Amino acid sequence: MKRFISILLATGMILMAGCGNSENTISGEVKDNQGSTVQGTGSNAGGQTGSSQGTQSKGYVFIYNGVTVSVDGNMAPVLEALGEPVNYYEAASCAFEGLDKVYTYGSFVIETYPQGDKDLISVIRLTDDAVSTPENIYIGCTRDDVTRVYGTEYTEQGSMLVYTKDGMKLSVMIENDVVTSIQYFSTVLDE
Amino acid sequence: MKGKKICRTIATVVIVVCSLALLQRMLTPKYVDGIIEGALIAEYYGEEKDHDVIFIGDCEVYENFSPAVLWEEYGINSYIRGSAQQLIWQSYYLLEDTLRYETPKVVVFNVLAMQYDEPQKEAYNRMTLEGMEWSMFKVKSIFASMTSKEKFEDYLFPILRYHSRWSELSAGDFENMFAAPKVSHNGYYMRVDVKAAENIPEPRPLGDYQFGKNSYCYLDKMVELCEEKEIQLILIKAPSLYPHWYDQWEVQMEEYAKAHGLLYLNFLECLDEIGLDFQTDTYDAGLHLNLSGAEKMSAYFGRILTEETAVEDRRNEAELERRWQEKLAAYEEEKQQQYVQYGIK
Repeated sequence: MKRFISILLATGMILMAGCGNSENTISGEVKDNQGSTVQGTGSNAGGQTGSSQGTQSKGYVFIYNGVTVSVDGNMAPVLEALGEPVNYYEAASCAFEGLDKVYTYGSFVIETYPQGDKDLISVIRLTDDAVSTPENIYIGCTRDDVTRVYGTEYTEQGSMLVYTKDGMKLSVMIENDVVTSIQYFSTVLDE
Repeated sequence: MKGKKICRTIATVVIVVCSLALLQRMLTPKYVDGIIEGALIAEYYGEEKDHDVIFIGDCEVYENFSPAVLWEEYGINSYIRGSAQQLIWQSYYLLEDTLRYETPKVVVFNVLAMQYDEPQKEAYNRMTLEGMEWSMFKVKSIFASMTSKEKFEDYLFPILRYHSRWSELSAGDFENMFAAPKVSHNGYYMRVDVKAAENIPEPRPLGDYQFGKNSYCYLDKMVELCEEKEIQLILIKAPSLYPHWYDQWEVQMEEYAKAHGLLYLNFLECLDEIGLDFQTDTYDAGLHLNLSGAEKMSAYFGRILTEETAVEDRRNEAELERRWQEKLAAYEEEKQQQYVQYGIK
């Protein structure tokens, strides 16, 4: 009996040994790996008026009317600062609790994903030339403008130049040598 | 004396293994309430396996088609082997798995999964893979699906992955340790509530609209497997409005179907003909149909199956008819229960 208890205890200890290192703990019903969100180190000032308070900006950010919008940042303070969007759409995450939300403003769109009781920003998409990135790249710029500002350390995905920084991606779509779309992506949802 | 020692060692090993097996059963999610989609794949194995039509694919099959309607209106005996974000290699291996038990006349595959060329998320993987019975096809599907952070041994011994669930165990984990109640109707996930599709955002532009090599590779394998087994493969795009189905994707599927002599149906192109109204026929703003929408969709598709495939009306088979009467009673019961739950009738 003693031996049985010892073996059982030893096995239990081995099984539990990994607990502290589990980066993507699946608890309860299987949950998304979003729980393993890594808030990257901020390379841009997040202290603008209406910036996503309480969350560090990571990688490239978008700034509109003094409001800093960064991927994986909390949407709530951004929404408060920007006000009601022109269009709002929400849809349940397939087989998960919570809603994916899409906020359309005049010249840009923000998408969010649920994490706990917060909505974090997954995508920021610039849709016309009324807005630009803080580095002054906008729809209508040339490919040379883009590489002069962001450099040549990119990967090409079809017609997109993808710059990776602090665990986020800035994708610039170029068609006929002209920028036609600019998107900031979170990589948290990639895996 | 030596024999006694051996017996004691064997008994110890058996007790430890059994204890761990019980622990594993207790800790593994049961998916009987809340997120029930994880229970869909496993339910198939308890079925009588003589289906004429098998659906494979993601949520766009298990939420948009009702086998009950296909039976009631056309006598078509069908089953949906669908799961959340089912990737195309998972669909392929689920088809291989299904063919171990039965050979349907028609296989229906939803092509939205073509957009994913590589493994996506562990949580979705588990909802498809854990429910599969062990076979070479499950092993191959696991290896094809694992993300860089996943390990095969975690699938082999789920307790390694779920050991930290002990603090979250509920009464349901104990009640459903050995047998879980059914959550679907031949793979169909019923929802009767309504949330109109409004304000659907403009689609996001993509850098590359070309479906990947891996996706095409598994679609080719699916085509070959169906040819070998003399099964008619039908490709469909279910009538979900979001996420967006791009014109560039549509062209690729039309060309593929034409090149391989397959029937391809994009139901987004015939919403009026089907009679779908996205003010009333969806429960999540256009991602999936609700019961009303799925029943319209099934009635429409049943006619096509009857006219364009070798599927026959089997309502004259007494034993099958008896089985379906039981299924239809359960279908009706859940329908009424959901109407009450959502305050609809």
